[in-house]
Parts: sequence; C-alpha cells; structure tokens
Amino acid sequence: MDPRIEKLLPTVQKPARYTGGELGQVMKDKNAVDIRYAFCFPDSYEIGMSHLGIKILYAIANERPDTWCERVFAPWPDMEQKMREQNIPLYALESGDPIRDFDFIGFTLQYELCYTNILNMLDLAGLPVKAADRKDLAPIVMGGGPCACNPEPIAEFFDLFSLGEGEEVNSEIMDLYAVHKKRGSTKEEFLREAAKIPGVYVPSLYEISYNADGTVAAITPKDGAPAVVTKRIIRDLDNVYYPKSFVVPFIDVVHDRVTHEIFRGCIRGCRFCQACFLNRPIREKSPEVINEQCKGLIHETGYDEISLCSLSSSDYTRIEELLNLLLDWTPGEKVNVALPSLRVDNFSDELLQKLKSVRRSGLTFAPEAGTQRMRDVINKNVTEEEMLETANIAFSGGYSAVKLYFMLGLPTETDEDVEGIGTLAKKVVDAYYQNPDKPKGRGVTVGVSASSFVPKPFTPFQWEPQATPEELDHKQRHLKETLPSRKINVSFHDIKTSFLEGVLARGDRRLSAVIEEAWRRGCTFDSWGEYYRFDTWMEVFHDLVLDPRFYANRRRDYDEVLPWDHLNYGIPKKYLMRESEKAKRAETTDNCHNKCAGCGANKLNGGHCDV
Amino acid sequence: MYEVRLWLSKRGRIRFVSHLDMFRLMTRAVRRANIPLWYTEGFNPHPYISFLLALSLGVEGEKEPVDVRITDDAVTPEEVRDRLNASLPEGLFVEAATKPVMKPSEITWGEYLVTYDPSEMNADSLKEALDSGALETEKSGKHGGRKVMKKVNVSECIHSWSLEETEDALRLKVVLPAGSVMNLNPQQLTDAVNAYLGTSAAPLRAVRLRLLNADLEEFR
Repeated sequence: MDPRIEKLLPTVQKPARYTGGELGQVMKDKNAVDIRYAFCFPDSYEIGMSHLGIKILYAIANERPDTWCERVFAPWPDMEQKMREQNIPLYALESGDPIRDFDFIGFTLQYELCYTNILNMLDLAGLPVKAADRKDLAPIVMGGGPCACNPEPIAEFFDLFSLGEGEEVNSEIMDLYAVHKKRGSTKEEFLREAAKIPGVYVPSLYEISYNADGTVAAITPKDGAPAVVTKRIIRDLDNVYYPKSFVVPFIDVVHDRVTHEIFRGCIRGCRFCQACFLNRPIREKSPEVINEQCKGLIHETGYDEISLCSLSSSDYTRIEELLNLLLDWTPGEKVNVALPSLRVDNFSDELLQKLKSVRRSGLTFAPEAGTQRMRDVINKNVTEEEMLETANIAFSGGYSAVKLYFMLGLPTETDEDVEGIGTLAKKVVDAYYQNPDKPKGRGVTVGVSASSFVPKPFTPFQWEPQATPEELDHKQRHLKETLPSRKINVSFHDIKTSFLEGVLARGDRRLSAVIEEAWRRGCTFDSWGEYYRFDTWMEVFHDLVLDPRFYANRRRDYDEVLPWDHLNYGIPKKYLMRESEKAKRAETTDNCHNKCAGCGANKLNGGHCDV
Repeated sequence: MYEVRLWLSKRGRIRFVSHLDMFRLMTRAVRRANIPLWYTEGFNPHPYISFLLALSLGVEGEKEPVDVRITDDAVTPEEVRDRLNASLPEGLFVEAATKPVMKPSEITWGEYLVTYDPSEMNADSLKEALDSGALETEKSGKHGGRKVMKKVNVSECIHSWSLEETEDALRLKVVLPAGSVMNLNPQQLTDAVNAYLGTSAAPLRAVRLRLLNADLEEFR
C-alpha cells in the first residue's frame, strides 16, 4: 500500500473501506496477466459491496488466467479530499495500483443519481472524463447494468456499454481486446469491431440529430455499427457460472450475507416497473443447483444468512421445494434464510410457517396504490381482500409491524386515489385489532412509505409525464392531511431527488453536458441527501439553456423518436403501447403464469420462457 | 466443554478493522474453520467470542487475548489454533492457544511501541514533553447520561517510557493504562504531546506489545 495512504487512513471515517485485504479477494501476479480490469461501483463501499452483480462479474473475470479484475468504489468525500490534497490517484483495492493504467474501467450503472460519481472517479483516477479526450486504446471505459438501457445522458463519458446480462458478453469483449492490444490497434479500431459483438453499444458510432422542438429526429449508425443493439441474456441459469466464494467485507455493509438469485425476469408486468420489462424472459434456476451453491458459499464465506433474491420470490414455481432443501441443513448450521420480495396475493400460510422457523424480520407489502382503480391502471394485480387476508395471516403468525409501500404521482392519479392510501392503511390497522389471534398486549404499527413515481424507459409508462414537483408536493400534503389513524406513520421520498432521477432516466445525449457541468460545480453523491445540491443542478440547466421539465414532465407521442429507440430489450414498442392504452382504460393484463400476454421477450431465448 | 484463551496478532492493513467489526470477522472465521464453539442461548444465538480488551482503530497488536469456549473436548487447543489460522484473513494470526490463567479484570497496563517520523517529532522535544508532568488531553466521557469532554492528566497516566532513535525512526516504548478502569491509547498520548509542543505529529505505527496486570506481570 502507498505509505501516503497508510498515513492518511487513521484520519478518515471507516478506513477499512480503503484497505482491501478482505477474505475472498482475488490476488494475482500483475506481470502474469494481459488484462487488468477495474470493476467500479460508483457509490460508497457499503453500497457497492452489497451488490450481487459485481460479485458475479468479478468472479467470472478472474476465472480467466489472462485477466486480473479488481474492485473500486467511490471514496467518501472525506477520503476524496485527502486524496486530492496529496495527489493520490484512485486505486484498485486488491493491488493498490492506480486504475488509470488498467485496460478496462467498468462501471455498473444501478441508478441515475450515481452519474456524477462516475465522472468524479474518472477524474480522481487522473483521466479525462470525456471518451473523446481519452485517445489511447487503454483504458476502455465501459458500463453495464439497468441504466445502460438508456445510457444517452452519459454517452459522452463511455467508450462502450454492455446491454443486458454480462456473464458472457464481458468475456467476449475482453477476448477481442486482447487481440487488439497485441496488434497495437487504436481505440477506434477496437471499438468498431466491438460494436459487432451482440449486446455491445458503442455510443460514438451513432449520430443523433434533433428537431426544432428539442425531440430526437434520428439516430444514425456509422462505420458499420448495427441500427439496433439487442440486449444479451443467459439462457440457462443452471449452467452459467456462479461464484464459489464472495469477498467478505470487514465492515458492516448494507447487505452482508450470501445472496442467491433464484430466477430472472418477472411474471407480473406491473406497468411502472422497469426491472420487470428489462429482465424478461423468465428463466428459473433449479432448487438443487441453488441449494448446492448456497451450501458452498456458506462454507466458503462463514456467513450465517442466505437471502434468496428475485423480483418476486413467491412467483418462483418451485419455492416450497427449494425451502425444503435449504431448511434441511440450515437450522443445524445456524444459518438464517430470508426471502424478500414476497407478493401479497400468494403468500401462503405454509410459506409463513416455513419462514417462521428461521428468524423473523419485518413484514413489508407493496400495494403501490391506494385504490383498486389505480392498481388496475398500473396492473398491480392485488385486491384489498387479498392484502387484508395476508395481513391477517401475518398478524396471527405474530407480526405486529407492517410496512406498506406506495407511489405518488402515478398516471391518472386523483386526490381520491391519494386518500385511498390512508384508507387502505387504516383497514390494515383495523384488521389487526379485529384479529383474535393477534400478539397479546402489543399495538400495531403500520408504516406507509410513499415514493414518487418516476417514468422509466422500456415500460408502458415511458411516454407519460412525471408529476411535477408542485403536484407531488400537493399529493404529499394531501396524504398527510387525510390520514385517518395515528397508528400510521408516513414517510416520503424527497421530491427534488425524484425530479432529477426523472430527468436523467429519460434524458438524451445533450444531458452529458449538464452532468459534466454539475459535477464541475461540485455535485457528487446526488443520491445522498446530505450531498445533493438541487439548486446547483437547476443553475446548470439554466446556464446551458436546457429545460429539465422537457425531460421529466412532458408527455411524449407514440411516434416520437425516443433517445433509446436504437436499443432493444426484447419487448417491442408495440406491446408497450398496447399496455399503455390498457392502462388508460384501467384494464389489467393477467400475469404470465395464468396467461401469456405475448410480450415477445421469449424470442431472445429461442421462443422459450419458464412459465 | 472447555475455555481457551487465543493470543491473536493483528498486523498490517487489518489494523484498520475496528473492534466491533473484529467480532463479526472472528465469528465468520470460526464458522469457516468449523470449530465447535459454544453458542449463546436465547432468541438470536451467536458464538461466544470475547475480545478481552479493545484495540484502538489503527493500532497493531502482538498478542491480544480472545476467550472462546470449545464444546468438543476432543478438539485440542492446538487444533483450534491451526484450524483458525487456516481460515483467518491476511494480517491476523493465532500465535498461541492457552488455558486462561488470569481473570480479564486483572488487565491494568498495556505496553506499546509507538514509532514517529523524526522529521515530524524531535527526540529532545518528546523527552521534554514526557518529563514535563503537564501533558493533558480530552476524552469523551459521560456525565449523568450526557456526553461530555473530560480533561485527562496524561502525565499521571504514563507508568514508564523509554526512547530509541535511529536515522529514520523515533521509537517510544511506553506503558499506559489499559483495562476496564482506565485506558489511554497511543493516539491520545500523541495528541497530548502535540498539544504541549504545538506540533502535529502522527505516529507512523503503533503496536500493543503485551498486556500487564497491576503488578506489571505479563497477562496470561
């Protein structure tokens, strides 16, 4: 480790964020590898180390004898300041080497509000933030993850994006790079070839033109780049590589346990949910494989908790089989099994009993909207009866605290729908007191968390205007004023934060200039309330003569060219339009288990979908 | 079931792992090593691992005592030591596993080796400061449930010290109070020296060499 770093570590918060050396980290001889890969998570160590994707891709890259993949996180502002004072460049945790000398710098793009951190990390590394200003072949700056579905606002900072699931395509990119590095190619030569790999989007090979009204006129590929880039998927989850070990952090991170993905995709088709439409088709992993891999990970890491993750765990068709396999050995080894993301409508008594045999945590439901009409609009196919029935099962099972998740600002939402949130929460309170089997001598607490709806690309609501900050403010006040019970605690998301998220989510390439300028004026860690500088952002929009409301609060026509129209996530625009029209009529679409709605994503998997 | 005292060394970058995080780390190491540890009973059982005295963040340790209980008598202390060493991360090592002799409450002193950069800390000045009898620092403490800053007379706390100077290092060996009654760590000592001299030196390295009882016998 650089002695200067060693000396400044005692003066910063949580220094173990910056030391590396955790169990499970991969060490290699840097002289014995051809490719050095810096896998960057543009947020704090605690957030980044909780992310499953980084664990998978880190392990896969390090399976390659020719590659050493290391981890990099955004230094917290106290550390950043000291690094800048002493000219210490951003380094990778395993080797301590500066990442500007690496072959790849890969960023995972999990949420829009991390964009300024990406620029900050490139700058801390000592690299120009704009791709066009980085002339050499290395480092190639690449991005992947959910926000790669509309990477246009950050297109100018990246050399390439990888769309969809990265397990296979990352290796293909590295193979190609190895050839070009040996050949001494220029960056342009490499990128032109990389653009031919399915799932690889090279933004510099696309020309964007605009109409007088500011909308996109055309997206024109050049130098042989494909007109449409289609995301990659893994066809067989049982046989795709899964890490045999995780890096086990020293300090307490947000999710500090064995996490295991049980299936990809979601059968529900809630119209607001980007994760659902980005991750189709449905592919399940078999219980035997999950169980064996979990067992191996528990023994390798020493963790005492397994979290089974997916977009909707109880929709996993073999959930009981899986729990039986796991509960066969986990209690004996004092391992807890957690099953987040449960739906309210198929949460059975049996399932509850199984979960009770392991440690009980809080209970959360996500009705998302307060009235049936509103839930029909968003296609959240749960009814009040189902919800109360589930709440009663839970109360009888000993729960006395329930958290309910809602969104404000959904398309067509009225004041009445907002009031419905309070009414529904009150019914949950009443259900508790009417339940004869409720826990003795305890009152109920119902937490209502109301976030602000942000329309996202590749969802049926991608054409919808986001509720304006003024409208959201009214809705929050209205909800608070009409709450019918003091047993209900309500919390809201910050409106200004949701607004910027809305702007960036559906932004075009012109926003690169805004992001760069906001960062130059000091914006970083925008998702952290204490560092978010809304006024600075608004000044930048003003100075660059771009209207944030054009991006967030404007209704798009179906025939408008959207900034992400050249990217394909497997679900045709026509399907999304059909869903959008059904939403306007408050018509629901059945879930995929009951009836295939023909979203078209199965084409990515040779016509196959695990439903 | 028997109780065994592990003597753990903590060297290098792992010194930045805090006392609180050390417990979690040891729990996982024990689980990986498949050591039959006694678990606490109750709603949320966890393995009984007792670090007898916290080591400040950034300070290395040569032999830090950690008590554990082994449920299977067939597993010898040597086996516990070896299995654990195979599963501990870089920088942590069980130097020995012995039968506890003294009670944890007997720990009274800690012997430290604190290294300064001679360009930051002058040997004569340091001597003067340590001889002055006027070293003071502030420690956060509690008064009637409220958090308050308390003045500590550092000079009174120092049991003994010696100084060794080489070209690139100034080494201070010092015995400071350690234990449940009174504690002073090398950083607090350095703060007091800095305050007295008007300097801003930071230790290059600080190592707790061993713990002692009230009679200055090595804690066993």
